[in-house]
Amino acid sequence: MRIGDAKQTYEADEAIWTSPTQKFWFALLLLSLLVFPFMANAYLLYLGCLVGIAVISTTGLNILTGFTGLISLGQAGFMGVGGYTVAWFSLNTGLPFPVTLLLAGLLAAAVGILVGLPSLRVKGLYLAIATLAASVFLHFIFAEWESVTGGMGGLSLEPAHLFGFSFQSDFGMYFIIVPLAVLMVFAARNVFRTRIGRAFIAIRDRDISAEILGIDLLRYKLMSFALSSFYAGVAGGLFAYFYRVVTPESFPLSMSIFYLAAVIVGGMGNLLGGILGAAFMTLIPEILKLLTAALTPFYPNAPVFMSPMLEIIFGALIVGFLIFEPHGLAEIWHRIRRFFSLWPFRN
Amino acid sequence: MFSNIFEKGRRLAGLGSLVAALTVTAPAMAQDKEPIVFGGSIPLSGVFAFAGVHLHAGLTDYTSWINSEGGINGHPVKYVMEDTGYEVDRSVAAFKKISGSDSPAVYYGDSTAFMKTIASELNSQGNTLMSGASFATALTDNEKYPYQFIPGPNYSQMFGIILEYIASQGEGGDKPTVAFVYSDTEFGKDPIENGKAKAAELGIDVVEDIVTKPGSVDVSAEVLKLRRVRPDYVVFHGYVLSPINEFMVQMRQMGLGTKFMGTFWSSDKLIIDKMGEDADGYMGVMPYNYYDSEESGPMLDALRAQAEKSDPEAGYRPTGYMQGWFNAMVWTEVVKRTLDAGKELNAENMAASLASIKDWDTGGIIGVPVTVKNMSFPVGRIWRVNAKEGRYEPVSDWIQLD
Repeated sequence: MRIGDAKQTYEADEAIWTSPTQKFWFALLLLSLLVFPFMANAYLLYLGCLVGIAVISTTGLNILTGFTGLISLGQAGFMGVGGYTVAWFSLNTGLPFPVTLLLAGLLAAAVGILVGLPSLRVKGLYLAIATLAASVFLHFIFAEWESVTGGMGGLSLEPAHLFGFSFQSDFGMYFIIVPLAVLMVFAARNVFRTRIGRAFIAIRDRDISAEILGIDLLRYKLMSFALSSFYAGVAGGLFAYFYRVVTPESFPLSMSIFYLAAVIVGGMGNLLGGILGAAFMTLIPEILKLLTAALTPFYPNAPVFMSPMLEIIFGALIVGFLIFEPHGLAEIWHRIRRFFSLWPFRN
Repeated sequence: MFSNIFEKGRRLAGLGSLVAALTVTAPAMAQDKEPIVFGGSIPLSGVFAFAGVHLHAGLTDYTSWINSEGGINGHPVKYVMEDTGYEVDRSVAAFKKISGSDSPAVYYGDSTAFMKTIASELNSQGNTLMSGASFATALTDNEKYPYQFIPGPNYSQMFGIILEYIASQGEGGDKPTVAFVYSDTEFGKDPIENGKAKAAELGIDVVEDIVTKPGSVDVSAEVLKLRRVRPDYVVFHGYVLSPINEFMVQMRQMGLGTKFMGTFWSSDKLIIDKMGEDADGYMGVMPYNYYDSEESGPMLDALRAQAEKSDPEAGYRPTGYMQGWFNAMVWTEVVKRTLDAGKELNAENMAASLASIKDWDTGGIIGVPVTVKNMSFPVGRIWRVNAKEGRYEPVSDWIQLD
């Protein structure tokens, strides 16, 4: 039983693991992630990969929106840059996937810096529109720069490969996507233990005060955009390898809204929130479909009646979270943890 | 919105009861043979739901009908589907789920994007033959998509049929002029290059080509462009309704005598329902007979009887319904040919069976015997809206492309 959370040193305050219990549960989580592909069927494996990609992209957006306070509707565009980078390099150079993924992240980061330039002058809704414009502009490039992007027909690419091994199946892709997702969430966690991460948070909390404290706003805002876009680029690259086809319609504006919703539903400014939000947004439509399936034996035409309802239920769930739990799923998780931490001494 | 949902529900309630009844009676009919599974990623919600509901009804009704006829070589047919919301990731999820649990022999894909995305998996699995809502030209590339086919002409072939019709309308050796108006989507841009090549081959002058957003409303600038070139025909592609109606009304108000035409998804009765008298004279290319046409044939009659039986109050069945039914008909023919040849029911054998379809009588669904070429059925007919009667009427014979 763990009671209280008193810390006596800076090291203890900054530690990732604050208790052996945490280590135990994290080890169990890693073990489950390792065992999962051997137990799951193709459908669950597919969903697992999808959640992995969503976690990376949501974590990236969380760095920008949740931790730095800069709203962005350009996430799908940055993912598109990553997807097309991977597809182009893979088709034209035959580079192995770690290199193409890195290039995808770097190019998306470069584009992110450009898109982030207005962030010194504008914020809030104005920045949202600026990033939205960037997203539209990128979509235009994907559709019209035919010699590079294949135009509206897009590009088809070969499976990811490394040392002669081809990651053709979802099983293979799982072992790229999920470790990378874990690694990148950890990297993000560590960013917020550094001066850079603390600068992001200071900017979010009050940018004028942050500037007075000596934080170079433009530098750190651009850094946040670069980092966030890097995550999006890698997620987009994985998306390309996973589906093995990229078209302009693979990265619609609704995808940006999806990730923003995942950040908000999960809990802004909380890495666990990003993970929970990504999983929630990806899995809930599938879980709701299970409800329909449960009705089918009694009423065979249930899908026809239920499908429009499921869209409404999904929307209502999101609105419900925003009203009743504005801090997102992460707060619910923390409450559960607190319950077990304090039990049996809770009042 | 709710009234729509409930109205839809009421109309389909009869269908549900019928499926339930057949589910109960199926075991008696099914003998002891393994069922043949028809799988489907169906957009019952989302932006394509207006068609998805009817596609689903067509597939469901066909399944009921074929089971009442004894199934396929004694094998009962089982139709397993999931709603996709017209989103690729959900379509893929549905495919994985249904493939894992029911091993479908054939599968309905809800979009070009889904069918392109799933192609590599389909090719590596080699178990399932796929067709669906897409008429994309790219899917007839046999090298890349050997296990996917188009249940009709692809979009380029539809343009070919339209242009052959237009070429036949010239007087005194003059060929009419044409303008293409299409949406800024993969769907919209699909047939344009091939359409231009076909026009050049037929000696038709393409005097303008205009790209718009799908569903856009303000098209006055584009209409002015068309006014300058005064095309004899405007061919729309990549829309369901808007901005076809805006173009037609504005150009007619300007006194232009231009005739208007469209491809499959923009040739449904929806145009008449929304535009009323203004829709008069609009022409569409359609590979199937309309539900309310005066044509007949044993299969077309069976379709009407089954539709009437499943939901007596629904009345007219849209083209999506016809497309769903025809998809299932082709699947049945392919499965039957494969089984008759004593071959295993895998994608390669079924693709070979599909390719062997020659001068096939569809029983009135298509008015002439059809032959598969490059994984498609390059045949269609031009129909014109008679607004007074509230339906499409044929203005050409069936046109088959080489």
